Amino acid sequence: MTQFEAMRQALVAANPRLSRYNPLNRILFFDDFDEGVNGWCELVGNHDGDPDKIRTIVADMRPPQISNLSFWDIGTHGAVDGTYALKLATRPKANHMALAIKRMTYVKPGRVQFETYFTLKSESWIGPRPDRQAFDGNIDPSVMDFGDFCIGNDVCDAEYGRRYHCALRYVNTDRHGNLVRKWQYKTSVQTTTKMEIAGNPAVADYHVSHPDDWEDVPDGQQNLCYNEIPTKINWHYLRYVFDTKEGRNVELQVNDKLMDLSAIPVPRYPHGYWGLEKLMNFCLDVHTHRDVRNFLFLDSCLVSVDW
Amino acid sequence: MLRRSFTAVPERNVAIADGFVTEPYETAWADEARWFVHVLEAPAGARIAFSAETSPEGLTWCAHEAAPVSLSGAGLATMPLRDIGPWQRLRFTVEGAASVRAIVYLTLKG
Repeated sequence: MTQFEAMRQALVAANPRLSRYNPLNRILFFDDFDEGVNGWCELVGNHDGDPDKIRTIVADMRPPQISNLSFWDIGTHGAVDGTYALKLATRPKANHMALAIKRMTYVKPGRVQFETYFTLKSESWIGPRPDRQAFDGNIDPSVMDFGDFCIGNDVCDAEYGRRYHCALRYVNTDRHGNLVRKWQYKTSVQTTTKMEIAGNPAVADYHVSHPDDWEDVPDGQQNLCYNEIPTKINWHYLRYVFDTKEGRNVELQVNDKLMDLSAIPVPRYPHGYWGLEKLMNFCLDVHTHRDVRNFLFLDSCLVSVDW
Repeated sequence: MLRRSFTAVPERNVAIADGFVTEPYETAWADEARWFVHVLEAPAGARIAFSAETSPEGLTWCAHEAAPVSLSGAGLATMPLRDIGPWQRLRFTVEGAASVRAIVYLTLKG
């Protein structure tokens, strides 16, 4: 280890806000949501100024919110530090997805690492449970109300060059209502506005051509902490690495679970896109399978690169 | 340091009929709030009114003290909020038409 690297690591370790992260050589951005939304905005589909031309699947991805995580029973839960977190919220409508995006470009190809502390819940209620399911004091039926969330990107190395989306989805319940609790990756490209105008059919899943175009991440079974009722939240560490030189995923770590993603295929567009030179977007989404709002919260996030 | 500000679009190009309410939006961090309603399309004779509602937890709602605002046909109307509370939404009444199409903005500063 060089003297510079030792000093850099010591400075990160001595900073209470950064020491829970493991950044690569250069911190590209550190977003503490006590400071605001930091450039995470709602994704909307392409249009020519006429909102009627926005495709349905990308017409209603919901504005991100700054939340203090308040619940009806205890009031404010708060974030890991400070008060506020970034919140993504679906509508209470089956198959609705909320997606936030942060748009960057990149200086050099190489490894990019996204880290965050996140938590998730479905919406609580006051009074008897709406579907009258039994509650044994530990296993709460509300866990079945949370669908999935996803972390991913949108990368293009040159105008009309190689473009792809990586997407890693934690499937709590699948679209058939089964509690599966595992990580999956997508196996087809995301249908773009250009593709739909060219005649591709409208899709039911934003990420893929067909909702079944997902495969299990090898050794991707993981039980996240679901602290019994929908008003108790626990924060999880997530670290996701992708490589813009190789055009692929590298690895995903969530708490103590490390998943090697280097061998999973990344679907690439067979055609090019104008204007997307060195595009590097970061994407987060949450997706409900029931008529219940689903929420994804980020306390903060840090993106670092190896250049 | 400049203050934080944010414009949320809780509803975009949606059909708003009588009784429509917007999705809940969290505003605990904000000191100032102002709604804008941009009616894009409205049949002749349509009259739209909206009133603010607030909530402690995003589940149960009551009227905010702000006075309701109304407009006839397409156009832009605004409503400032004072003492805004932690969650916001708008409730609409529509008369003279089945529905209108509108974009709803919530602008925040704090």
